[in-house]
Amino acid sequence: MKKIKFMMLAMMAIMVSVGFTACSDDDDPVSNMEQYQRTVDATVKAQKKSNKAILLVAFGSTWQQAYDAFDETVEAYKSAFSGYDVYLSFSSAICINRAAAGENVAPRNFYAPQFWLEAFGRVQYDEVIVQSLQVIPGEEFSRVVNAMKDFANNSNGDIDDEYLSKMTLKLGQPLMASADEDVENLAKAINTNFSAQAAKGVVAFMGHGNPDEYDTYKANVRYTQLEKALQKINKNYSVGTVDMSENYKTNVKDRMQDAGITSGTVYCAPLMSIAGDHAHNDMAGDDDEWEFNDENGEMEGTSWKVYFADQRGGGYTCNDETMLNKGLLEYANVRQLWMNHTRNAEAVDYYHSKNPE
Amino acid sequence: MKLRVVLTWAATALMASTGVWAQTPAADSLRRERLLETVVVTGTGTQNALKNTPIETEVISGKMLRQYAGQSIEDILGSLSSSIDFGENDMGSHIQMNGLGNGYILILIDGKRIHGDNGGENDLGLIDPQNIDRIEIVKGASSALYGSDAIAGVINIITKKHTEAVLLNNSTRVGSYGDVRQHNSVGLSFGKWASLTRFQLQHSDGWQNTSVEDPSQTEFLITDSRNKTVNRYTNYQLAERLTYALNPAVELYADGSLYWKRIYRPSGKYAQSDVKTYDMEYQNASVSGGGKWKINKDDFVTLDVDWNRHAYYYNFTDTTLVDGYVNGRFTPYFPYFPGQKDLQSDQQRTMANLKGVFLLPEFNRLSVGAEWRYDWLDAPMRVAGGRATDNTEALFIQDEWNKLKWLQLTGGMRLTRNEQFGTKLTPKLSAMLSLGDFRIRTTWSKGFKTPTPKELHYRYVRDMNGTYLYLGNTDLKPQRSDYFSLNGEYRTGRLSISATPYYNKVRDMIALVTIPTTAAPGDLIVTYDPVKVRQYKNLEQAKTYGVDVTARYAVGEWSMGGGYSYLDTEAEQYDSNHERMRRVIIDGMAHHKANVFLNWNHSFTRAYKLGVGLFGRMSTKRYYQINGNGKGYQLWRLTTSHTFLRGKHTTYALDAGVDNIFNYCDRTYHGLHLGTTSPGRTVYATFNIKFSKGKKFNNNNTNFKSNQDEED
Repeated sequence: MKKIKFMMLAMMAIMVSVGFTACSDDDDPVSNMEQYQRTVDATVKAQKKSNKAILLVAFGSTWQQAYDAFDETVEAYKSAFSGYDVYLSFSSAICINRAAAGENVAPRNFYAPQFWLEAFGRVQYDEVIVQSLQVIPGEEFSRVVNAMKDFANNSNGDIDDEYLSKMTLKLGQPLMASADEDVENLAKAINTNFSAQAAKGVVAFMGHGNPDEYDTYKANVRYTQLEKALQKINKNYSVGTVDMSENYKTNVKDRMQDAGITSGTVYCAPLMSIAGDHAHNDMAGDDDEWEFNDENGEMEGTSWKVYFADQRGGGYTCNDETMLNKGLLEYANVRQLWMNHTRNAEAVDYYHSKNPE
Repeated sequence: MKLRVVLTWAATALMASTGVWAQTPAADSLRRERLLETVVVTGTGTQNALKNTPIETEVISGKMLRQYAGQSIEDILGSLSSSIDFGENDMGSHIQMNGLGNGYILILIDGKRIHGDNGGENDLGLIDPQNIDRIEIVKGASSALYGSDAIAGVINIITKKHTEAVLLNNSTRVGSYGDVRQHNSVGLSFGKWASLTRFQLQHSDGWQNTSVEDPSQTEFLITDSRNKTVNRYTNYQLAERLTYALNPAVELYADGSLYWKRIYRPSGKYAQSDVKTYDMEYQNASVSGGGKWKINKDDFVTLDVDWNRHAYYYNFTDTTLVDGYVNGRFTPYFPYFPGQKDLQSDQQRTMANLKGVFLLPEFNRLSVGAEWRYDWLDAPMRVAGGRATDNTEALFIQDEWNKLKWLQLTGGMRLTRNEQFGTKLTPKLSAMLSLGDFRIRTTWSKGFKTPTPKELHYRYVRDMNGTYLYLGNTDLKPQRSDYFSLNGEYRTGRLSISATPYYNKVRDMIALVTIPTTAAPGDLIVTYDPVKVRQYKNLEQAKTYGVDVTARYAVGEWSMGGGYSYLDTEAEQYDSNHERMRRVIIDGMAHHKANVFLNWNHSFTRAYKLGVGLFGRMSTKRYYQINGNGKGYQLWRLTTSHTFLRGKHTTYALDAGVDNIFNYCDRTYHGLHLGTTSPGRTVYATFNIKFSKGKKFNNNNTNFKSNQDEED
């Protein structure tokens, strides 16, 4: 009996020791947030030269071409907006992590908007303009606005309320914020950049778009409006997307065929702020799966280049030479449209619903 | 006595229900053969001489393991079985048996299923290569006996059991690329108690076969990538097993283990390709207890209760923002700093298994049992809702009927109830015809695999050359399979030749399939902007078929042999948009794979023995759906083993050899599939010292002492 008791005690000892070892050592979450925020604060303190700041907000990327485009944009803003400190923010955590880490490379600190805004509040910038680098006022843009609202409402509770009531917080609208003026202006700028190609063949733009069920703000319509505006200038322009229902590359091809364009060259260009994963893979990549289609006919596993060159995509001349792989921020005249929005930035209703007005 | 009558009738009914009936016996001969031959347990869950097991079983014997001196279980299985291959990466070993992956292979350690996976891959570092007595491989479905996952086959790692009063054993293996394997065990037996304490450590610095990233996946040519082919890792395990002989008929045991592993990921300078901000860390623990009651020399009852935990962490090496919960509130951009950890998933499993084996009149041997299993998954950011559970109960029954000298029949079935898919019946039927030294075996069996909590509820973002979003699917059905095989075997004392054509048809096979981005939840698409979305889906009518051939010949001090596997696979996915099946390849499949060996053993004196071995393994091209096919390869290993006997109690052994002697290295660009991850020529040396003393005691859980000569 004693031996049985001994064995039971031994078993209990093993279980207890395992139980203790199995416990996780949770970190103090508040100190982590604050520790990280202090790093952002230090960056802002080091860069602060005036009392006015512009925060450019993009989704982010890990492509060098995109980094170069962002660097160029920040420099252009610094030149155009003297008196303002210019900062760049990514909203993608993965892109932030990748850009900041790495060995033998200078870290690129594209902090998320809320960390930048918190830091701005702590050093008490008098004026802050948040410029959306999105193309359409869709879901991604709404997250930019939400970050501003959290800041304006002092959601962390550690910014001086009196300062908040006096400071100026403005929002610069995305590229195609308005259906008339913005779309018209972008169409003109695009035609300036692509008229030479449009004279020789179709120029098909690849926008991003929001998934159908997530097109909460009906911003996808801007792509349709842009195509309409472009086709008023030249019938050879077309605008499709990777995520907007019924406006995939297959729909672009159908519209081209309906318009009687059944042969010739198809040039492809990203209608995105930078040329990153989508531009290099979905548009100019070599994927040729041809299998996955949704009910509207998208072939996600096939790149635009491969699709348009194949008989199933119309059998056009479409190859590496016809890929015009530059992001919109790389065109000075399009960048200027965003800058115009920065100049016309306005305060929005930060105190009610979280949806953009 | 009444119990026996009832059980006999139950066995009779079972055989009748599976359409089998006959009469006449031979159990005494089985006992005689047990003493002469290798005994296997995996095919039927009962002890059978290898020659006479009705379920074909491939055995990698202890002697072969010693001769081969494998670095890891992956090295051992990949080299010594032509049916098995690997494709190691961060997420695991990617074991494949006859075309099917880890999710369809049940890996057992002493009959108990291994626990914990990452992306469906078991961490085989849990298996100490120095503690293996032998390995039994049973191909095809065995769900009637083992339940879920036993579709491609079962690999049962039989560990060493000490039978000495005092045992001290140390084994240290060192090799190229910082490879270190350390095994230590202390065994003691005193009175009715016995204790075995084990510690094992495995470490490799990892290696890089190429520093060039696949140009088609990168923005510009990267020739100085820091991504490794196999990453540096360290793992160790501490285990204790106590046994207590309550009386001559009853033995109780309790054991527990702790395991830790870290996979180190170097970080480079290319944000798109080789920047990493965290390592991976696993923490496992297990506790189990139970016992065996030997009712008489043939009948016994066993009870096993196990609890296992496998926790998976990110161990941060650079500042990293993740989605997390702070005070119960979803918080995007939660920062972690180097040295901190974040739990990704915590899988816990509790199982209880009660089993009885009874020798009945009319030469029936009946196995009956019940199993209860509870799975618990905590994955705060990877499972919708943070947690998922699963509950399964099962009853199983099996009868081995061997009244006729020339015919053995085995029939079994399992009734499983699962909270997700309800009840399921899985039968198995085998027959063996003995004609002198010839054996003909045939098996039909059904297998199934329960969708795992991860497959049902997972939500995971992978970040490598673009963002990939993985999703679970609560509409999954269990996978089910039908397996048919026909084995012909000729076996004498010196020669054995075996050929097994098989056909394995798996329905409702679960695989990650690329789905249109628009079919994924919009909030996830907007948050992560993935380049691809993959979701677990039931693939219809996947099938594998081929033939496995093995041959062994031993004469004097020489033994030689090999294996060959021909394989073809077809999998068809249902495309709901076009109402048609789409034919795809099962990733990693190779049509031809083979292994060969030649061993020579010689005793120069009573105190010194030498063994020399030449081992080869080869594979033709391995097929993949994306990112290129893996090149065919052949790898050869030269081994030597030296045994020095010193006194009555101490043995020294030195094993040394050269692996991949022709220095083959697959330098396919990183990001594409490799045929083999071998780094090229490597060397190794193992030193083993063993001290054993005292009277051997009888361990009820120890299998019959094997005579392994026929396998080598």
